[in-house]
Amino acid sequence: MRSSAVVLAVHSVRRMRGVLIAIAVVVGGFQFLLTQVAAFLLRRGGFGLISSFIPDFMQNLAGPSALAFASFEGVVAFGYFHPMMIATHIGLAISIATEPAAEVETRFADLTLARAVARHEVVTRTVLVLVWTELVLLLVMMLSTWTGLACCTPADTPRPGAATIRSLAILLGAITFCWGGLALAVGARVRRRATATGGIAVAALAAFLLDYLARVWDPAKAIARFSPFRYFEPMSLLAGGQLQWRDVAVMLAIGLAGTIGGYMIFSRRDL
Amino acid sequence: MTSPAIRLQHLGKRYGRVTALRDVSLEVVPGEVFGFLGLNGAGKTTTIRILLDLVRPTGGRASIFDLDCQSRGLEVRARIGYLPGEPGFYGDMTGEATLDLLGSLAGQRVDRARRARLLDRLELAASDVGRPMREYSTGMKRKLGIVQAFQADPPLLVLDEPTEGLDPLMQDAFYDLLAEARARGRTVFMSSHVLPEVERVCDRIGLLRGGELVLLSPVQDVRNLAGRRVRATFSADVTPPASWPDGCEIASVSPRTWDLRVHGPLGPVVSLLTTMPIADLDVQVPHLEEVLKKYYANAPAPVSPTPVVSGFSRT
Repeated sequence: MRSSAVVLAVHSVRRMRGVLIAIAVVVGGFQFLLTQVAAFLLRRGGFGLISSFIPDFMQNLAGPSALAFASFEGVVAFGYFHPMMIATHIGLAISIATEPAAEVETRFADLTLARAVARHEVVTRTVLVLVWTELVLLLVMMLSTWTGLACCTPADTPRPGAATIRSLAILLGAITFCWGGLALAVGARVRRRATATGGIAVAALAAFLLDYLARVWDPAKAIARFSPFRYFEPMSLLAGGQLQWRDVAVMLAIGLAGTIGGYMIFSRRDL
Repeated sequence: MTSPAIRLQHLGKRYGRVTALRDVSLEVVPGEVFGFLGLNGAGKTTTIRILLDLVRPTGGRASIFDLDCQSRGLEVRARIGYLPGEPGFYGDMTGEATLDLLGSLAGQRVDRARRARLLDRLELAASDVGRPMREYSTGMKRKLGIVQAFQADPPLLVLDEPTEGLDPLMQDAFYDLLAEARARGRTVFMSSHVLPEVERVCDRIGLLRGGELVLLSPVQDVRNLAGRRVRATFSADVTPPASWPDGCEIASVSPRTWDLRVHGPLGPVVSLLTTMPIADLDVQVPHLEEVLKKYYANAPAPVSPTPVVSGFSRT
């Protein structure tokens, strides 16, 4: 007999499969098209011009997005740190992580938890779905990147290495899990999904903007370390740096703390 | 001695400064159909949710088949079929998918033939359960809720307002299911506002008022509290007796008509009437409603058949 967490996870994925497939197609398609854009710019010899046109302060102000267009690798990897892509991943994670709140709100939890289902299984279900969907999305993105590079770009092009793409995916997955864990903690406490999603979305936006400001404005740097986005540094990877596992660990630790909090809160609360 | 199906011991629940339940103690014996009554906000649903460990008590203890509802909640809930007052079904799921999902959760073994019989009894066709639940009427959702509660044939059924939204024919079908469950030795704990329904199906009732249990009694005993209404019509003027038989309460007396309420045996009243020129005699069986409305209205209890407000009471 399958555990209730798995039964509920399969049920959740089945219910949201349409949205998941649509998002996977969009993010995968975007990644594939980016390789074509990169190849197009390469053929036109545009990369050198682009980087020379962007002064240092503008590069800082515009953040990673502007720098991405300075190189073939940057364009190819753009999807792993484009704000809309980050928002898509985090938004989906928040939506999944607040499912316990939705089930309390709709009273579906009354039907499931009136059976021999432990409350932690409901949270485990959410964690399983969260991790599974993010892995699938990242896999689709990586496959699309690889397919685009393999099929449609000149063989002698200096491509981003597999390790770089994998590291970018790890960073994106870590920041997504970070916010998913926080959303889970809030979603385990409140009675309405909108309260949880709205609250966490606003917090994520504020954290993103704080990090953005801190990149160009020194006074903001002191408090920007409280923003999880401070530990999301894809550009150093594109510049040839190594993945900073400490940054990944910080983001995962925040997500894990939220997840543990979610387990504890949901187990103790009145439904 | 058989352990009680449900035992509440000094159960209390506070939400901040609001007391939802105060010192509620009762026992439900196996095989009994127990009606849990009270006005809105009396604490019925809170009690039920404590039994299911959806809500944690702030005082006292609840157990089912001698298993603590909180510390051994999984074992407890494996023995329960629950119909919520407002079942929260997903509109995009079909009725069948909903039953499959709920039936596949731990602790439940669903016999598909039994489920099919239940659907048939409640007139939910295969085409109905194949439709998304957003297309269901209130009554259809209630029927599906009943099926999901009964489908695993659990030893204890906890039903919150089970016939809300059902048409009279389906109510009868539900009462039949209830009677069959009782015949199989299942225990039923149901909350209801519908007093005729409680009178029809329940063996005993408990009545909550403001979070306190103010009545716990067999239905028949409560009904007897109201007394039978006796109207005697005479063919000639009669004079009322100087002393009335014990248990006889006078509602109105005129030379040709007496309206009486008789608590207890009718014999002494009948003996008195046979000495009179009686033209007609009408005896009305009392209804539960007559007594319970007094409790609902916060009036002092006429007579408590079984003392309940603190401690236990068993039949």
